[in-house]
Amino acid sequence: MSAPPKQFRYIGKHRRTKEDPRFVTGTGSFVADVQLPGMKHVALVASPHPSARICAIRIDAAMALPGVIAVVTGAEYCAATESHLVGVDAPAVRRYALANDVVRYAGEWVAAVVAESRALAEDAAELVEVNYEPLPFVMDPEKAVTPNAPLVHPTHGSNVIFQRTFSWGPVEQRFREADHQLKFRARWARSATVPIETFGVVANWHRATGILDVWASIQMPKFPDQIARSLRLPGNAVRVHFDVDVGGSYGVKRGIKHTVLTGYLAMKLGVPVRLIEDRLENMRGGDMHGPDRIFDMQVAFDRDGTIRGLKIRALDDVGAYAGRSPLQLGKPVGAICGPYQIDAIEYEPISVLTNKTAQEAVRGFGQAPTNYALELTIDRVAAFLKQDRIAIRRRNLIRAEQFPYLIPSGTTYDSGDYHTVLTKALDAAGYEALIAKRDALRRAGNLAGIGIATCLEPSGGNSSFEPLFNPKNDTTTWMDSCLVRVDLSGAITGVMNTSTAGQGHETLVSTVLGEVLERDPNTIRVVHADSLNALPSNSPVGSRMAIMLGGAAAGAARKIKDALIVIAAHNLGVAASEIVYADGNCSVGRDATKRLTWDQLVEIAHRKFHKLPAGLEPGLQAKFVWEVPTGGALPTAEGRIQMYPCFSFEAHVVLVEIDALTAQPRILKYTCGHDCGVMISPDIVHGMTYGGIAHGIGAALYEKFAFTDDGQLSSGTFMDYLMPSAHEVPSLAIADHCTPSPLTTFGQKGSGEAGYLGAPAALASAINDALSPLATSIESLPMTRLALFEKIEAARHHKGIA
Amino acid sequence: MKAAAFDYSRAASVEEACALLARHGPDARLIAGGQSLVPMMAMRLVRPAVLVDIQRIASLNEWRVEKDFLCISACVRQNVIEREAALSEAVPLLGKAIRWIGHVQTRNRGTVGGSLAHADPSAELPLVVATLGAQCIVRSFRGERTIGSESFFTGPMSTALQADECLVEIRLPIWGAGRIGTSFEEVAIRHGDFALVAVAAQVALNAHGVCERAALGVGGAAPAPVAFPDLSRHLVGTQLDDAAMQAIADTLAKRVAPMSDLHASAAYRRHLAHTLTLRTLRAARDEALTRS
Repeated sequence: MSAPPKQFRYIGKHRRTKEDPRFVTGTGSFVADVQLPGMKHVALVASPHPSARICAIRIDAAMALPGVIAVVTGAEYCAATESHLVGVDAPAVRRYALANDVVRYAGEWVAAVVAESRALAEDAAELVEVNYEPLPFVMDPEKAVTPNAPLVHPTHGSNVIFQRTFSWGPVEQRFREADHQLKFRARWARSATVPIETFGVVANWHRATGILDVWASIQMPKFPDQIARSLRLPGNAVRVHFDVDVGGSYGVKRGIKHTVLTGYLAMKLGVPVRLIEDRLENMRGGDMHGPDRIFDMQVAFDRDGTIRGLKIRALDDVGAYAGRSPLQLGKPVGAICGPYQIDAIEYEPISVLTNKTAQEAVRGFGQAPTNYALELTIDRVAAFLKQDRIAIRRRNLIRAEQFPYLIPSGTTYDSGDYHTVLTKALDAAGYEALIAKRDALRRAGNLAGIGIATCLEPSGGNSSFEPLFNPKNDTTTWMDSCLVRVDLSGAITGVMNTSTAGQGHETLVSTVLGEVLERDPNTIRVVHADSLNALPSNSPVGSRMAIMLGGAAAGAARKIKDALIVIAAHNLGVAASEIVYADGNCSVGRDATKRLTWDQLVEIAHRKFHKLPAGLEPGLQAKFVWEVPTGGALPTAEGRIQMYPCFSFEAHVVLVEIDALTAQPRILKYTCGHDCGVMISPDIVHGMTYGGIAHGIGAALYEKFAFTDDGQLSSGTFMDYLMPSAHEVPSLAIADHCTPSPLTTFGQKGSGEAGYLGAPAALASAINDALSPLATSIESLPMTRLALFEKIEAARHHKGIA
Repeated sequence: MKAAAFDYSRAASVEEACALLARHGPDARLIAGGQSLVPMMAMRLVRPAVLVDIQRIASLNEWRVEKDFLCISACVRQNVIEREAALSEAVPLLGKAIRWIGHVQTRNRGTVGGSLAHADPSAELPLVVATLGAQCIVRSFRGERTIGSESFFTGPMSTALQADECLVEIRLPIWGAGRIGTSFEEVAIRHGDFALVAVAAQVALNAHGVCERAALGVGGAAPAPVAFPDLSRHLVGTQLDDAAMQAIADTLAKRVAPMSDLHASAAYRRHLAHTLTLRTLRAARDEALTRS
């Protein structure tokens, strides 16, 4: 079904990435490398209470410390700045960098201290005396929705900030007619990406020019606009330098509150100010925790394993404030049935406020939890029917000939060949041998299980979850752009218009420009504009840059190529249609005597106006700005909408062994079949997939932002927030497949969330297969050592009694 | 996460270090590898007014094998244990324990004495010291004294060291040639983490496979690493058969006093102590049986 990929010159080839030399040699330029003369440093006073009234703040002792420049509290700050944007219609849920009157989570920033050094600022922060009157608080999202729960934002009137029941297709009828129904609860714990670099920002206000310069470690859509808005500045007064290297993000480097605060301090004090979170500030108050969900799943299915209908209730604990976090319940609408043919689905997303650190975007924007719940559902159907998990998947997976495939929530999947990718993954894993190994381990007295997960990666999205979750928001534009310049020397420069958070965009753009212009990508420079000279752009979120930036670079390069052909035709006295373009040179047909080289054409464009065809701009530059390939539209009344144009697919096969006595799990073999269409840079795609799987292993087995009953974050350091290291992540094998997208420039799809979107589901599947001889299972992440021990012990105890 | 202000002195000799400790009292802290102290200072959990750096004191960077003891000075880096075979040859349990301690990078900096003085109840070196009944040589301006491991560790992160005292040397008993087997088993959430529970065992068998001497200790299951000399004595005279070991493990699991925390309940730790005791004893026995 899928067409063989086109032959490319540079796309899909293994090349050194453009970014590696500076990162490998330690010569990147991160925000902490920005050193401005006279720069001052910020430390923060954080609330020790999950909920309290701020009765008084005394700053005299702090101000008296030599080297302290200012202490700013919420009263001053909130009066001088605007509340940050909220993703849903909840105007009373106001959010600032500094708390005013009340604090709503332990770790919330109460005051900012500016001093000559960070150490001095920390000394002074200890001297800021805050009197609190503790208030009732709520940590459990299910308690938060009960009538008498303490309200996190009393003026909002409820702890629910979004709730809607979508119903697509004949759900009740399917549940009536199906042979069987199952229901169960699944729990996805609060975890995040937790990059090695915390959030950092440097701001400098030029009083004379009226420009606020910002260097920040960001991955945030509409970042400059939001900073300007909150600081009550016109957009053209904020210059965000997008060329700052970002030391990891995958969603969490949002930094609006940090930047507005730092910008305010720089403007107030007239000096450059730097705020770089330390790990405690980052973990407690950096607002970078990911989704925290309780799924109540119901599935209707026939005895042959055909799934007829789904009901999904997803209650998500967004913590004490909300920016875009509730929208993480919106993204799954675009892939609500996963890769399966399920035409009747009810979905009830509920966003709940509690007295926890605020949630922010994390890799996958809410899709990984939903995939986890869907895959658990498939496994449970298989277990109920005592049928093979792979056979159930094969029965329900959308078949290659069914694409483009319209799902009940209004999105059309572009292309795919799920059965083939699953087969490739099973073959690459050596599935028969894997079963033999698992069974041998079981016979030797250990617990062992094979995990299977088949998951979608929506990519290249627009912003339609904004109007879907907020009727007052009718944003449908979600563009990206590229500017391409060819200078007088003939060298090519691609200009990107947003920040990069480690995704290798320089490699992406240079490869695409090289491909279209037939010039060596190694000679192509790729740089970032700053926000005052940038074309319209959104940030690299939602696995969109291969599609959107790649497409924009190609579009701009084609304009350059067209201009060169027009110049050649004009000077060679033929029609443009007669010009053959090869390696940047233009000739008339194959006639080598009638030929203008790249250098000659570039020189005409720049220096020989008399040879330039009428109407052509002098110089050689082109911009290309475009919208997501499937456009942007408002949702229907039933909430049907196309958000993401392209759908990558991943099939995981994993063998896990659990020591039956110590409950220690060990991943013995990990294979991932992956199809993200045409890979522009396979090494970058594979690198992201490896990292995504490692991240997924963390979410599945180790990582959790846990809170104590009295509202304190109990995993605020790397002693307690445990991420997998090289010891815990096994060798990973990836089996590639390519089903080109019909919607994109080269057939590419997005892949920045690859691996992570399926790994937690795959590990849950493996652990549950391992536990199945004990007739127990675990539907809560992370599947910690303690949780595994307790399951195993309970099962043994149960057996002992029985 | 910047340390509160402190003064820094680099001592050139143990005498100078002791003089500084005597002068500053509890306000001073010794620093060697800094692998635990520096993060605690960065989080301001510890705020010494004076930091006395003893890393460059030559006499604290030596080790030697005597007839009955392996003597390791306090500032010997942990990585010396893995790089100098003579230490593990003298005290094989050290060689078994070393790979469980943190990571290569932390072992390059971390010192033997630092780990003991820090006294994390889950740490590996304190467990080896406790299990084997080592002697801790301690110096102050008042003189030198020897503290047996059974009284050196007094609780979580606390030892019998006085504020003016500097741990200078650890003397680990050498059991001599013969059919000696050792084992060190640990369960941690991730490799390199502090143990949830660790168990160390060393046994000596006679030509008939009968246990002549045994040492057994558990870390992570009590406020300090605990040796069980009485239980070890019960093993003497047995063939270290499963029944004998099972009885020891059952008793040991009842006697430990584990804590519950985010990562492990007391019940889980108790269960691990039992499981690892059996595994460790079996492995030590099996290793001893391979020796002639």
